[in-house]
Amino acid sequence: MTAGALRAGGWVGLAALALYLPYTLGPSNQSLYSLMGLAVIVAVGLSLLMGFAGQVSLGQGAFYALGAYTSGILAVRHHDPLLALALAPFLTAAVAAVIGVPLLRLRGHYLAFATLALHLILLAVIFTWDTFTGGQIGLIGIPPLEVGGTQIKGHLYAATVWACAILTVLVAVNLVRSRAGRGLQLIATSEATAAAVGVNVTAYKLKLFVLSAGFAGLAGGLYTYLLQYLSPDSFPVVLSVQFVVMVAIGGIGSVYGAVVGAVAITYLQHLLQKLSLIGSLPVQAPRVASIGLYALILILVMVFMPRGLLPTLLDAARRVRPQRMKSPPLTS
Amino acid sequence: MTTFLQLVVVGISTGSAYALIGIGLVLVYRTTSIINFAQGAFAVIAGLVTARLVGHVPTALAAALAVALVAVIGALMGFVALGRRGRTTPLASLIITLGLALLASAVELYVFGDVPRSYASISRHAWSLGGVLIEPQYTLIVAVTFLAAILLTALLRRTIVGHALVACADSRRASELVGLNVRALGVVSFAMAAALGALAGVLLTPVIPVTFDSDVGIAVNGFAAAAFGGLVSIRGALAGGLVLGIAENLVVGYINPQYELAIALLIMLALIGWRSRNEVVA
Repeated sequence: MTAGALRAGGWVGLAALALYLPYTLGPSNQSLYSLMGLAVIVAVGLSLLMGFAGQVSLGQGAFYALGAYTSGILAVRHHDPLLALALAPFLTAAVAAVIGVPLLRLRGHYLAFATLALHLILLAVIFTWDTFTGGQIGLIGIPPLEVGGTQIKGHLYAATVWACAILTVLVAVNLVRSRAGRGLQLIATSEATAAAVGVNVTAYKLKLFVLSAGFAGLAGGLYTYLLQYLSPDSFPVVLSVQFVVMVAIGGIGSVYGAVVGAVAITYLQHLLQKLSLIGSLPVQAPRVASIGLYALILILVMVFMPRGLLPTLLDAARRVRPQRMKSPPLTS
Repeated sequence: MTTFLQLVVVGISTGSAYALIGIGLVLVYRTTSIINFAQGAFAVIAGLVTARLVGHVPTALAAALAVALVAVIGALMGFVALGRRGRTTPLASLIITLGLALLASAVELYVFGDVPRSYASISRHAWSLGGVLIEPQYTLIVAVTFLAAILLTALLRRTIVGHALVACADSRRASELVGLNVRALGVVSFAMAAALGALAGVLLTPVIPVTFDSDVGIAVNGFAAAAFGGLVSIRGALAGGLVLGIAENLVVGYINPQYELAIALLIMLALIGWRSRNEVVA
């Protein structure tokens, strides 16, 4: 078997496993597993943006919320959950395009602060515009997701989320290897060189930003049907930071790394929430622990392993393993 | 008309505080190319520390101690954010400052809890000027801001450290060539930015109580002010802060207080869009 076939086989095997796994899990683990899949969708997009456009977005949580509320509000008002879900990524991408046009034309990290501001604004809008969003109380009465008469809940929901996550990974991997991907890699190496050989740097960055927002919107749109309830408390500013942490763990620009980072951090978040069940700890303990832990991960990883935790560990493992003998050159 | 003027007066004073935050961002960005997300945290730490000290010591002393403490914290943060020589890119540094801002809010939450803190302003007695109330605290904020801006400009133009910082902002490579310690200057710029941020926090806390997560809004407003001058001009940041403060207060007064930050972002986007027509993207 060639390396390519092996790789494709491994891929199909892993994908099948990811889709089969929810059928072996209990209800609470299913919802954790679904959240992992949703995080994968967002983190993959953000990793591409950070790795190839060299820009940080602190608004992925906002795009996630925007996708969620878009599909939630449309589903409540028009009773067509599937259409509502389908529109979520497009509306989110459109918003990203509008704010991305002025911001990405400039050098420097205007995008990071602007997207952070976007997150704060979105939260303010959700609170204020309560006839549509339900405000502080939350959006209730969201119908379940339904395709051709089949309700997508439980196992099927988790499998659907992971199917979307796998599609996202496929799109991302193919994008990196395509003609556009080679342009993006050149931008990542040197923007000036990319511009010199005719790569439209600004357009590429904008497209990547819009794509990453679209991914986040899709994940948010799917999230709506996990609990069929949305509340502004589910989308704190820390959520946006959490996605950056996932990318820092998995390696900036790495698609597979983003998958690992998303799964790891979602699991960590799950463990930290359990802290609140321990009665003897002070009330603030879970929040202090999660904020503090994310802070330390960001600081330590970026100071000591700027490429990301996972790539650095993999490199170290490779160095430890004894070098295989190189086959001698063919001499006739 | 009185309402309008009243809103403008309040806007000028909160805008001055944003300008202080913005000037700190400009200082660090010019010297190190780092966008410092922890700039809002400086204001919050100073506000919380002063609130804790007030009652034990006079307010002025409490404020001075808080500013000094935050300057030291700022230097430490700068040291961490600059990372390892030649290994840490500005993008990585930006993420480190984000981590530092989070770390600060975790510590604040642990030490001070999540209740907003405040303390009394310098005087409850307000002057009335043709129906417009002018509170002494507002006057103080504006006076301190302009004094700080003038002192900073003088420091940059007249002292040796100032010249070194300006040289560093102009060309880091050339500064290294003539033997300036660029890293140390980066740390100095962080400490100065921290002191400015702390000053803003100490002045604003009596007007707007602070808590561990106030730093995000403060930093975003400061950034919007700094963006007014393209992130490189102290005067630009000062003007930006004033425009922003007035615009936001008019929105709060006439439309809806919830949209205060939305206006900051819209102004920032409009300005950036307008500037980016003229700038060549390399």
